[in-house]
Amino acid sequence: MQNIVIGGSAGSFQTVTAILSSIPRNYPHAIFLCLHRLKNVRGGFVEALSLKSNVPICEPYDKDSVMPGIAYLAPANYHMYVDANNQFSLSTEEPINHSRPSIDVTFCSIAKTFKSNAIGILLSGANKDGAVGLKAIKDAGGTVIVQHPDECQVKTMTTAAIKITEVDHIMFTNNIIDYLKNLK
Amino acid sequence: MFEDPDILTFIRTLRDYAGYDFSNYSEKSFLRRAEKIMMDYKLDIHGLISKVKSDRLFLEKVVKDITVNTTELFRDPQVWHAIKYRILPRLASKREINIWHAGCSTGLEVYSMIILLNEMGMLHRCHIYATDLNTDVLNTAKAGVYSYRSISEFLENFNKVLCENPYNFDEHLVVTHEKYFDINKVKDTFKIKPEFLDKAVFKKHDLVTEPNPFDVAYDIILCRNVLIYFNTILQNKLFIDFWNYLDPFGSLVLGIHESIIGPPSAKYEKKGLIYNKKVF
Repeated sequence: MQNIVIGGSAGSFQTVTAILSSIPRNYPHAIFLCLHRLKNVRGGFVEALSLKSNVPICEPYDKDSVMPGIAYLAPANYHMYVDANNQFSLSTEEPINHSRPSIDVTFCSIAKTFKSNAIGILLSGANKDGAVGLKAIKDAGGTVIVQHPDECQVKTMTTAAIKITEVDHIMFTNNIIDYLKNLK
Repeated sequence: MFEDPDILTFIRTLRDYAGYDFSNYSEKSFLRRAEKIMMDYKLDIHGLISKVKSDRLFLEKVVKDITVNTTELFRDPQVWHAIKYRILPRLASKREINIWHAGCSTGLEVYSMIILLNEMGMLHRCHIYATDLNTDVLNTAKAGVYSYRSISEFLENFNKVLCENPYNFDEHLVVTHEKYFDINKVKDTFKIKPEFLDKAVFKKHDLVTEPNPFDVAYDIILCRNVLIYFNTILQNKLFIDFWNYLDPFGSLVLGIHESIIGPPSAKYEKKGLIYNKKVF
């Protein structure tokens, strides 16, 4: 099982929706989504993502176990970690890069836990959150993909990542989708 | 469970020198906090251990740094709606109501409760208790003075909880911020009005090692986003402790992404976001 973690902020919603609507039912891998959203927009996000998704979307509870074929969305206002025993761990520690959930936090945790079985994907966004985390995934032996900055509504996040990491692929949404569909 | 011998020594030292037991903290979360402390003070684990042994003030600082302090005004409005429309109406006929905020941090949840109870005309019948391990946050809680900038984003939640009724969209009340707070945007201060300051009893208490801090049975225990820092063994022990401390038909309110999954789940009935004590 591969562990795909997707980080995004401003301008990433459509890409995430496109990915989730293209991934087949009973997908054999686990998907983790760490997306910035407005702090007071708590509800409705799962529903909005679920509309077109083929895989179930859930905001995990603390100490839930990771299962394949589910897209786990970092709950609003919590950092989301995945521990070595394949359990989620949530925390309300300080925001990182002004963000909670922080993409760096989730990416670093996925890197540490899944090492070469981790795939990090960073999408459009307006701050630098995620760059350090993507590097951590690469350094731990995982695969890292960045959405092509030309396609990003806001390219701060992706260019920050490309600057500090030799990424494996710089891809447009369609290629990211093909990559994930063919993932063994 | 912790395995690293240095970390075990560190935890033992904290227990022997400060009386706090972190051995059942969530391993990852404890290590993250310890790493952050070592980075902040430029110490390695051995340096950290010897400094907590020799420096009493540093020891206290470390204990405070390990515990996470987050609290917000009306965090998660849907939880407050559940308290407002599901729990409190059941208690409306009680002469005395006991409420405990376990792990209250700087007290914003406590003042949220006081405000809600006042709006519902129930405040005079309530005893509100609030505890935390960290005396710094308790002092802030008692003073009721915050930075306006840190609070302003939560005022929308204040409006949502107090003015809107999710079960009746036609209902819309007006509750002004000035009724409860003295706000000075220039000085960046946000103060709880004096008449609401002395409504709660704040006390230092260690959930892990100490029994019920007040000699009462509670109608509501709120312990939100505290147990996520503990391992399942300690979580389950506390779910049983809370069950023992609750009045029959009392309610436990957890963080919105926390749940009771182990054996203690049989002792509670989950109703939406609330866990009610099962007596039979």
